[in-house]
Amino acid sequence: MERKLSREELLKLAAAGGAAALATGPVGLARAALAAESGRLQVLDWAGYGNDGGQSMFAAYVKKYPNNKPQFTYMTNESDALAKLHAGLKPDIFRPYVGWTKYFATSGLVQPWDPKLLTNFKHLNPFMVKAGQYNGKQYGIPDDWGFDAILYRSDKVKPKAKSWSLIFDDRYKGKIAWFDDLNMLTVAGLYLGFKNPWNQTDAQLKQSQNLLKSKKKNVRLIWSSETNLWEAFGSGELWIAYAWPNDWVQMKKKGLKVVYMRPKEKPIAWVGMLMLLKDSPRPKLAHAYVDAWSSAKSGKWLEDNYGYGHANTLARPTSSDLLRALQLTNPRAVTLPNAYLDRDIPRRAVYARMWEEVKAA
Amino acid sequence: MGRSQGSLRGHIATPALLGLPVAWLIAFFVVPIVIVGLYSVDVYSLFPGAHGFTLGAWHGFLHSSVYLGLFWKSVKMALIVSAVVVALAYPVAYYLALSGTKRKYVLLLVLIAPFLTSYLLRVLAWKVILGNNGVLNSFLAWTGIRSANHPLSQLLYSRFAVILVLAYVWVPFVALPIFVSLDNLDRRLLEAASDLYASRWQAFLRVTFPLSLPGVVAAFFFVFIPTVGEFVTPSLVGGTSGYMYGNQIADLFSTGFPDWETGSVLALFLLGVVAVLTLCFARFTQAREAT
Repeated sequence: MERKLSREELLKLAAAGGAAALATGPVGLARAALAAESGRLQVLDWAGYGNDGGQSMFAAYVKKYPNNKPQFTYMTNESDALAKLHAGLKPDIFRPYVGWTKYFATSGLVQPWDPKLLTNFKHLNPFMVKAGQYNGKQYGIPDDWGFDAILYRSDKVKPKAKSWSLIFDDRYKGKIAWFDDLNMLTVAGLYLGFKNPWNQTDAQLKQSQNLLKSKKKNVRLIWSSETNLWEAFGSGELWIAYAWPNDWVQMKKKGLKVVYMRPKEKPIAWVGMLMLLKDSPRPKLAHAYVDAWSSAKSGKWLEDNYGYGHANTLARPTSSDLLRALQLTNPRAVTLPNAYLDRDIPRRAVYARMWEEVKAA
Repeated sequence: MGRSQGSLRGHIATPALLGLPVAWLIAFFVVPIVIVGLYSVDVYSLFPGAHGFTLGAWHGFLHSSVYLGLFWKSVKMALIVSAVVVALAYPVAYYLALSGTKRKYVLLLVLIAPFLTSYLLRVLAWKVILGNNGVLNSFLAWTGIRSANHPLSQLLYSRFAVILVLAYVWVPFVALPIFVSLDNLDRRLLEAASDLYASRWQAFLRVTFPLSLPGVVAAFFFVFIPTVGEFVTPSLVGGTSGYMYGNQIADLFSTGFPDWETGSVLALFLLGVVAVLTLCFARFTQAREAT
């Protein structure tokens, strides 16, 4: 039977909650707030990670909190998420990628997580965990990850070197795909040998942009969704692509002779970072949701079904190809000397404008 | 007394009738444009913080060969699409209006039947036709005209693909205004031309075509105006070379890092050009009606 609290009882409870919170600090505060958390958890996430196929990733959460099932709004990229947040959307959680950690941590839009509330936190890759920190606080919980590298058809393409140069190669005009992201300027910077491609000087940035503009004539497609890439690569329209490990697995499944090349300038590793919004009224539920996403079981499911890596070091995919492409047995795979973990771009707006100019040129 | 009552009723009735549509227009057309205008001069901004009036984005746009170049490229593509569409739609409309067939309205319905399916589906169907392993290339390989290993690869993800698909999408739309102007043609004029020994070709050139010109011009603008700012079709079949001005506007608002200031400038410039073209069109039709 439902019991209604009198005003007096309610005040007593609030006072007790306040005392408990004072006694136990912020964690206690979060725990005390649990009782007050209600409604559906609001999640701003990428297509495929919600009720449109990603249910297994948060099944444990739904089982535990059937009355607070997640409700999804989808984001197409971080820029889109940023616009939605500023336009007044109030999610509890959203997922930018690692290069945006510092930006969002300093934006005033998010608050740090309490790792003590995450049972799976200890199993997460320490390099990725560190990449989710800012000023010693854990703003991002790493989960999905992968590499930016080069996929090519070994029966059609003979690379001159294991290098990013392949995505600019004039010999394969009309058979190359780039990725629709300002990271293309970072890759151009890597190829040109700049010391810090994420923070290029004006002159370096111009040089990177000129390289991209001059080589755009070779590019057939600038892809923004993997299905778009798979369709064009699978049908033979493309032979070379800026791609993720899963794309290699998918093309192999189609029976194509494909190689996933690790360029000598190094690939870039990306990691999805779940973030907690500053004014979230459901921090405890948000922690529970992220904990479900971070389990080894969810990790294996993600690897098996989506072909992305997962930050939980206990998660292992069934596919040995994927295990190899992601180098899952090597916890340092995402960092030097193997790869560059994607990082903050201090002049992101300038990079974005220059990348847009490349597309428009 | 009766007259003054009538005129009073008229005074009240006109604003009452116009009130709702005008309010609608102000709320959902004028106000949004003003807001976009404020974004373009940084009076409004997506980001919190200090903002103030600046013409920086306008200056950047007007001095950017990249954006203006892309606009010109889109104009050229839209002109080609409009010309092709009018050329294809005219004979269809001519047949429907002037052939004397009793089933013209049934045929008209058949013509617009593709509109019963989703726009996206119609565009995506072209991928199946134009792709390397698509219907066209498979046919060419089957007939031996092209080797299966060397398909015509410029059919898809190209400027050609965008023009072709847009032309396909717009033909039924454009046939309608031409059909209406031809259907309203006074047939006695054609009889008179015939009586004066004009050949059928001469009658067409000197009677039918000039009288259908308002429909043709309307049809041309019907296609040109939305096509110049098109972004869905190029993003599906255009690839790098089919990228258009509309794609750039969409990208400035939503990818990389939000640049609503420049995006608003590009959008307003497009709106301005379209508005000028519409005015020219209105003047043209008014001038023809006057004569």
